Amino acid sequence: MLKHFIALILFAGMLASVNASAQTEIICASTTSTENSGLFGHILPVFEKKTGIKVKVVARGTGAAIEIGRRGDADVAFVHAKEQELKAVAEGFFVNRHDVMYNDFVVIGPANDPAGIKGIKATAGAFRKIAASSIPFVSRGDNSGTHTKELSIWKKAGIEPKGRNWYLEVGQGMEKTQRVANEKRAYTLTDRGTWLATKDKDKLEMVVVLEGDPILFNQYGVMAVNPQKHKHVKYKEAMEFINWLISKEGQQAIAAFKDKNGNQLFIPDAK
Amino acid sequence: MSLKPTARHIWKNYDGNPVLKDCSFSFEKNGIYVLTGPNGSGKSTFLRICALLEKPDKGEVEYSSDGNPVSNGIELKRRITLVLPRVGVFNTTVFKNVAYGLRIRGMQKREMESRVDAMLEFVGLIHKRDQNALTLSSGETQRLGIARALAIGPETLFLDEPTASVDVKNTEIIENIILTMGRKGGSTVVVTTHDREQAERLNGCLLVMKDGRIDGAGPPS
Amino acid sequence: MKASALMLNPELLEIILLSLEVSGIALAIATAAGLPLGAFIGLKRFPGRGVIISLMNTFMGLPPVVVGLFLYLILSRSGPLGFMGLLYTPSAMIIAQSALAFPIVISLSHSAIISVDPVIRQAALSLGATQFQVTAAVIHEARYGILSAVVAAFGRVTAEVGAILIVGGNIAGFTRVMTTTIALETDKGNFELALALGVVLLAISLAINTALHVMQKKGMAR
Repeated sequence: MLKHFIALILFAGMLASVNASAQTEIICASTTSTENSGLFGHILPVFEKKTGIKVKVVARGTGAAIEIGRRGDADVAFVHAKEQELKAVAEGFFVNRHDVMYNDFVVIGPANDPAGIKGIKATAGAFRKIAASSIPFVSRGDNSGTHTKELSIWKKAGIEPKGRNWYLEVGQGMEKTQRVANEKRAYTLTDRGTWLATKDKDKLEMVVVLEGDPILFNQYGVMAVNPQKHKHVKYKEAMEFINWLISKEGQQAIAAFKDKNGNQLFIPDAK
Repeated sequence: MSLKPTARHIWKNYDGNPVLKDCSFSFEKNGIYVLTGPNGSGKSTFLRICALLEKPDKGEVEYSSDGNPVSNGIELKRRITLVLPRVGVFNTTVFKNVAYGLRIRGMQKREMESRVDAMLEFVGLIHKRDQNALTLSSGETQRLGIARALAIGPETLFLDEPTASVDVKNTEIIENIILTMGRKGGSTVVVTTHDREQAERLNGCLLVMKDGRIDGAGPPS
Repeated sequence: MKASALMLNPELLEIILLSLEVSGIALAIATAAGLPLGAFIGLKRFPGRGVIISLMNTFMGLPPVVVGLFLYLILSRSGPLGFMGLLYTPSAMIIAQSALAFPIVISLSHSAIISVDPVIRQAALSLGATQFQVTAAVIHEARYGILSAVVAAFGRVTAEVGAILIVGGNIAGFTRVMTTTIALETDKGNFELALALGVVLLAISLAINTALHVMQKKGMAR
């Protein structure tokens, strides 16, 4: 038996040394919406082929993704909560923030629209109507970009939803949140990318009840972790990734990404 | 060459109860000693102390070889052995059980095999050689314990109640094994039993344990 | 049909292999460290022994997410071991799983050793064994119980998701293993893929438990 253990331990050592072999890799803290929509699966191989840099994506909510970068556990952050991003840059944790692309948020709800939202132009007004009707509203509740956006709309509507019996915070990713809303016959705020990519697959009996309000604009940005805060970060490679994303080639790759129904999910807008 | 134990003024308490009280005895002859006495009289304790498996509270056990004292250590311990009333078989084959004492002495494989097989023949267990020892009957288990002890070629052999939980047929086999060992000579065999008839059948030097001491000693008439 | 087709997917195979690799190495580490300790605690009497035993029994039920959280804080670049750059690597996952397996190996191998009949020690001593050889005999006698301990630990680490999700980051092609993939794919609504992986996990767990059963039977020959 002892012999087997020794063999196992040697094996472990070998594997550990294999893992240590160096290929240029960077860690990108990003969000569930970019990862789950399949965008990264589409654009990262193109970048990797061109530069030989492997981008490893840790997908969390925007809040967690920024925190991961602040702690120095990632080299680059690719998220969608511009105010939070700019704040983190101002605090010195990140540098070289750039707009990359956008999609927009939409309010979705049960197909019969029980709160009568259709036709309302202002999202804050729609939220007030949902609150008044006591029809359930499902919130991401996870500090993500979508969650941040949702909270800012409630604030604008002058309503504190937390703790109300119709307000359900699920603490999950976007797609799961949509599914919960579907099960609960509830409204929720989602990004168009996730909505288009998943509504058929998940057999959601829901419709878009409100879109096009300027407040629903969803900007994605990318920024490098400040190498002066965290000396170990691969700043050079991170900048290569950022510069590629905002280059003509990167922007075209984003524009070329379509879901399986042929919808373009993200619109590149780097300046 | 012969190895002889001498016990001098042995005292032993268990939980405050004195079991051995100033017990002395010198085993001076080759051959069989039979130690009898009622249950709980201290026979087993005396045997374990003589076999150096337990330390007395007071007193000492000394071995001598041809009149010269032998120092207590692993070398001496390897020349004597005790077969426990509950043998303590290892969860492995009969063969490996008997080979244990030889293996820890670093004996070569081929020599070990022939020695173990001879011992298994001697106790009549050769047909169970490759069986798991835990599957043996209690009589067979006791014979296994004896074979395992004999394999190491002990110069002094202690057997503690070797037939206490054994059927008539196995008792006869075991008694014959002991008698054969006694006849061979060159070693000292000490057997405890609470069965007076067995004590007579074994035809050795009869000792009686009483009040924590060895009372009478002498060959049966 | 669809599930069997999914199984042939090289990406999935990679995920399954990584799972086994991470859990296997974690188990080897936990065993190499835990067995001697478990044996020591089982064989020796020393002050504080009882405290260690009840601590290990408590740690056996440690919630994986708590282990994950602590390790995250330690391994993060802003944490005390951040300089090693282990967060979001398979090594971090191995550390997490080792930490989960370690108390199981210690606790169960300790129980296996103390349940060895004391007469075994006497028998070995009477046949001229040195202290070291007596210890070896007792450990050998406990071997089936010890193997069961190792197998139980393997079962726990392969089924674990909370800790490795936190410290591994579930990075595609790098730290994505069976359990984290199941969690992710369920989130994404890819129930077929999640189910297929679930079947693989079940098969592994079935194999482990069968092995455990056979060993326990062998351990109780009588």
